[in-house]
Amino acid sequence: MTTTHSVPEGSDPPPQGGGGNPPSESELEARSAALHDDPRFKELRSRLLRFVVPASVAFLAWYLLYVLMSAYAGGVMSTEVVGSANVALFFGLAQFVTTFGIAVLYSRYTNRRFDPLADELREELEGAAAVPGARKGEDA
Amino acid sequence: MNVIAQDTTNQERLITVILFAVLIAVTLGVTVWASRQTKSATDFHSGGRGFTGIQNGFAIGGDYMSAASFLGIAGTIALFGYDGFLYSIGFLVAWLVALLLVAELLRNSGRFTMADVVSYRMRQRPVRTAASVSTLTVSIFYLLAQMVGAGALVALLLGIEEGETYLGMSADVAKIVGIVVVGILMVTYVSFGGMTGTTWVQIIKAVMLMGGALLVSLLVLSMYDFNFGSLMNDAAASSAAGDAFLEPGQRYGVEVAGDAWQTMVNKLDLISLGLALVLGTAGLPHILIRFYTVPDSKTARKSVNWAIGIIGTFYLLTLILGFGAAAVVGHEAITEQNTAGNTAAPQLAQAVGDHFGGDFWGAVMLAFIAAVAFATILSTVAGLTIASSSSLAHDFYNSVLRKGQASEQEEVRVARFAAIGVGAISIVLAVFAQNLNVAFLVALAFAIAASANLPTILLSLFWKRFNTRGAVWGIYAGLISSVGLVFFSPVVSGKGVDAAGNNLSLFPENVDFSWFPLENPGLVSIPVGLLFAIIGTLSSNESDPQRFAKLQVRALTGAGAERATTH
Repeated sequence: MTTTHSVPEGSDPPPQGGGGNPPSESELEARSAALHDDPRFKELRSRLLRFVVPASVAFLAWYLLYVLMSAYAGGVMSTEVVGSANVALFFGLAQFVTTFGIAVLYSRYTNRRFDPLADELREELEGAAAVPGARKGEDA
Repeated sequence: MNVIAQDTTNQERLITVILFAVLIAVTLGVTVWASRQTKSATDFHSGGRGFTGIQNGFAIGGDYMSAASFLGIAGTIALFGYDGFLYSIGFLVAWLVALLLVAELLRNSGRFTMADVVSYRMRQRPVRTAASVSTLTVSIFYLLAQMVGAGALVALLLGIEEGETYLGMSADVAKIVGIVVVGILMVTYVSFGGMTGTTWVQIIKAVMLMGGALLVSLLVLSMYDFNFGSLMNDAAASSAAGDAFLEPGQRYGVEVAGDAWQTMVNKLDLISLGLALVLGTAGLPHILIRFYTVPDSKTARKSVNWAIGIIGTFYLLTLILGFGAAAVVGHEAITEQNTAGNTAAPQLAQAVGDHFGGDFWGAVMLAFIAAVAFATILSTVAGLTIASSSSLAHDFYNSVLRKGQASEQEEVRVARFAAIGVGAISIVLAVFAQNLNVAFLVALAFAIAASANLPTILLSLFWKRFNTRGAVWGIYAGLISSVGLVFFSPVVSGKGVDAAGNNLSLFPENVDFSWFPLENPGLVSIPVGLLFAIIGTLSSNESDPQRFAKLQVRALTGAGAERATTH
């Protein structure tokens, strides 16, 4: 998904500062900018996009198909399936099921694959200035 | 069968008025309590960011499920059958956009408003001005639709007929009183209670709404031995449409025999509406600011999950309410009361109350659902008011006028006055517009949000090259194209009159300057907004890769995100 090499664009000055204090705003900014090129951050972003992009395309297409069929495929939609319950009703209910389903899948996925790495990077960024978080960003 | 306006007795009205008064007293009590918690700007704009996922989930539901969705969707299902359900699905699926693409990233990277995120790596003043203009336009249009609806609803719920008076009010006076009371209450909640007060009003409303909808649904279903199929058959049989009642095409995408052009326009209109609904929700300012009321992005995610569960369940219940109203109350009795079907749900409540407990319980159920509807209006308008006042104070006053130099106290003071100003303007506009056909404003608000707001939010988070000109052009192009196209559409002029002779457009029926055939602009305005955001960006050399890097790192990891305040 990501290319294996990455040349940091202009390196930012490494964070400096004392003791166990949380980083200052400008230091956080410098660290964040440096982390942006860190392979771990790229991994984090690609983990998010790996779920979010296909899922969004899928549910938007699925919804659009439903709207288009409601507009143009009256014959199919009015076919009765069970008693007077027709395809349109089941297709509509299926939209509820997929919406709930994608929400559950997304939450599970992020809990497992996204949150731990995001937490790790955040703690590193917000940690005492001694942790050279921003400098770990070496070429993978 | 009792029909509200025809035999509303003073006893029934008294129960309704008492419940309204109790609701007002409780919400004002909450507001007084909340005002003591509201000190800093974070308290005012974001309720101190201390709400839990469940609380915020209910508050989102309370904010989102407006009277238009409660009474409007139930009424549309009751009168047009399946198409009301079709409408509600757009409102639900839209939450996936908020969940997957917006809620968490916005929570991590912004403070109080949508403009915080969009302007993060850009020149503050032009971008914040644009975002503030868009926020105010969306909120005030939406507000206007709600308040005009509120006036009509109060008159209807009190069952005051033409030529009749109650407590010295004729129907027309009651409408104005309704608008003014709603306006004063929303300003009070917001300017005193801030986001904390507004949130609790929304939570109370969501609980009442879910409780009311569940109760009436269960009672209706039990009349049919919990057989939804026979309820559906009964609804179709008592409607004018027969089997077609259970199929799409009665209200949206209507096929006009012998008019291929109008048929095509109607179908494109349905697609345009569907797009605006699904892409607009995650760009509505009053929804976006709710994501700031929780401690972190994980809680924002949880709250959206709760909201999806609550909103989804509610729309499934409206299917039962709508079919129930069609079957039990009947098409004629509903349209007699209100041609748009807005009273279908309260009428159904009264009917099931009558069925199970006699006239008295019918009156109690009617009053209860009327109070739910009233709470529904109050909480949505309060959400819109705080979205407007936060944007005016934080984006326009502090960032644009004062160049970010205003103190927190000053910003909060301005926000309180802004709420009063927004309230006053909405009351005046709503009183003037009370007899106009303004229902289209809700769909327009969604279209603006989808065309102007959502693209700029997403581009600012994910497109490195995106810059000030792109954001400004994108917002204004989306805003102007949606409003402009609607202005020249049949909803504003030239739609003519319905079978009963009611004017269907905003302007009088003899005025016609429409040339854009669709009533919903989204199909055109969403691509236009996006296109201008891209052209604007590429035509300007400005770019700030380091700020982008910081924004994206912050949005994804939450490093440096605003924290909850502790009292």
